[in-house]
Amino acid sequence: MSNASEHHHTGLIGSQPRPDGSARSKISYAEEGFATAWLIAPASLWLILFLVIPLVSIVVFSFWENTPQGLNPAFSLEFYGEYFYTKGFFDPDSDRFLLPSVFIRTLGSTVYFTLVTMLLCLIVGYPIAYFLAMQVQAFKWQLALFLLCMVPFWTSYLIRAVAWLPMLGRRGLINQALLGMGIVDKPVSFLFYSEFGYTMALVQIYVVLGIGPIFFSLAKINKDILEAATDMGATPFQIFREIIGPMSLPGVAIGMIFIFVMIMGEFATAVVVYGGKTSTAGTVILNYYGIANYPFAAVNALMLMLAMVIGIIVILRVVDIRKEL
Amino acid sequence: MTVKNGNSKSGGASLRMSRRRFMGTAATVAAAGGITGFPNIVQAADPIRTIGLGVSIINEIQGKAAKDVGFKIRGQALGYGALFGKTLNQNDQYEVSECYFDMFDVMIPSGVFQAIDTHRIKDWDKVSNLTKTGMLTPGSSVGQGDAPVRQIWVDKDGKRTDGPSRYISAVPGWHNADSLGYNPEDTGRPIESWAELFSSDFRGRVALLNVPQIGAMDAAMGVEALGLIKFGDKGNMTRKEIDFLVDFLIKKKKEGHFRAFWETFGQSVNLMVSGEVALQSMWSPAVTAVKAEGVPCIYASPKEGMRGWHGALAISKKVTGKKLDQAYEYLNWWLDGWAGAFVARQGYYMSTPANTKKHLPADEWDFWYEGKAAAKELPDPFGSPLVNKGEVRDGGSYEQRFKKIAVWNSVMSENDYLVKRWTEFLTA
Repeated sequence: MSNASEHHHTGLIGSQPRPDGSARSKISYAEEGFATAWLIAPASLWLILFLVIPLVSIVVFSFWENTPQGLNPAFSLEFYGEYFYTKGFFDPDSDRFLLPSVFIRTLGSTVYFTLVTMLLCLIVGYPIAYFLAMQVQAFKWQLALFLLCMVPFWTSYLIRAVAWLPMLGRRGLINQALLGMGIVDKPVSFLFYSEFGYTMALVQIYVVLGIGPIFFSLAKINKDILEAATDMGATPFQIFREIIGPMSLPGVAIGMIFIFVMIMGEFATAVVVYGGKTSTAGTVILNYYGIANYPFAAVNALMLMLAMVIGIIVILRVVDIRKEL
Repeated sequence: MTVKNGNSKSGGASLRMSRRRFMGTAATVAAAGGITGFPNIVQAADPIRTIGLGVSIINEIQGKAAKDVGFKIRGQALGYGALFGKTLNQNDQYEVSECYFDMFDVMIPSGVFQAIDTHRIKDWDKVSNLTKTGMLTPGSSVGQGDAPVRQIWVDKDGKRTDGPSRYISAVPGWHNADSLGYNPEDTGRPIESWAELFSSDFRGRVALLNVPQIGAMDAAMGVEALGLIKFGDKGNMTRKEIDFLVDFLIKKKKEGHFRAFWETFGQSVNLMVSGEVALQSMWSPAVTAVKAEGVPCIYASPKEGMRGWHGALAISKKVTGKKLDQAYEYLNWWLDGWAGAFVARQGYYMSTPANTKKHLPADEWDFWYEGKAAAKELPDPFGSPLVNKGEVRDGGSYEQRFKKIAVWNSVMSENDYLVKRWTEFLTA
């Protein structure tokens, strides 16, 4: 059974023909390798120039000294110390006994906000993707509705964030309605420049990144399997738990990785929608860039990147995308 | 150039050699008059590069300057942080830096600028006393922090001197004094002290500038006005003072005192126009922008004084020869009056008021510098109507405003510590 499915699998990726080991195939393999090298050359060059080299220079900068006379090339761990050390930490007599440094706390709250938003995006986004993939039968409607989800991307990111003000602000639509109906006698302010408004804006902005991949993995599920399960007496819940859920996991994982990476690096929404009343790892980097303390900005950037890599590894540990696809 | 298979070293050498010889020949031909018909191209000076904030790097300004001095000026507008970083770390990337005197505690010791010879500044005698003695008019207070007079005087090598000298670190330019902006309908009373920034009457309706160096000083003005602490120098706080200030701010933040922290001009305008905020630290032109939206807004003249800032034109140490002459020409152009009139219409003052006056119609001079009611509708720098007839500029006349500067924008010695504690304040 498993053999058969392996050979007849005609998924998005499909199975690759294997070289049979003869001399002829060896030659063609070598030619293939040459062509492949050329194919990946532009992308590799691009990545080396604009990703690898800048990344290496961030690492190098993070060890430099920042003197009153400007940057000084050196191998100094000063700013790594600054990042982790805090006065009174682990000092039994101090009231900051178990209080990590402000930078670690900021990174922590960034991770916390990211996880909350990811969860909300999943709760909101999955049903939308499910509806698109399973309930909408006609392809053209599927496509139309999916494009509708993309409409927010037609405007700039900042406009999407700013547009919350006329909705949630003190003189916004909701407050006017509440005042008009006599429910409150003073505008409520928790809607905007608040944790509530911030979380809501993040979910609205990033949920689409989750809907896409989940939709695609749901749409790939063979409807015959679902029909067979129904025929054999499975309840809708069982079908979801045994078939749809597991088979959509890769999409969920990919969507969550997108959202995770985007929100971890987020700083503009915190300024526009939260009124700058919180620090994210991104705003800390920006602040130290602002005072030209590049080494410390680099340390912060590396720590943020480390947290992101760990997050992605965790997600990939939970869902083996390669296997599931 | 025909070497094909020789070893690369000699090949390279011969390439270089022949290229140099070719260039030499070309130059000789050009010098001998062999190339004619393009005298302008041959003689036109190279452009010079200048960097600054959007306040002074404006197409109209550099364009007009280029027309007047006869060579191109390539302006690059940067954010404050990028300007600071580029001025400090890449002084081969600009000829002129249109920077601010609060950066000079870093820039002077680092030696990125060259001393400017006042004998080469045509209108040096017309530069006001605000930067020379620290007092625009006799009896004014100099103010705490990085007052221009503490940053301007250097010797021939660019090292600080105790007092006046023939050489200066930079040519003083545009400047202004900032305080609090408020909506009188929301506050219900005139705001006359920085202490109001922390009044519980305005809980949840207050915004602060989220640039640690400046925001901290605005907050310090408020805390000091409340009588909670007396700062030695608000422009250069000690760690203890910073701790006191930030702890107080964190307490206030936890009470829900702040509605938002703004970073850009536009944000501060939005906060006021949308009615989110009743009172906030604000820049002078932002008040004009709020009023232009039909929302009442007053720029307070707190009894404790205002917070001043001062732009300056500095020349990179790397600049020599012809480029140096051009840089001086550009600096002289700034003082000549046209630029002063241009920035006046944005609400900024210029270090050579007498020259500015020559380029401003009397109505505009009276409104912007004398604090008088506008005799007719007045334009912004780009010619659109800005000020309605009868309007009066908040904060009074130029002299009144600069008589009592409480503190100047500064970069503190404990800047890194301040930014760290400020991060804590925002995270709290």
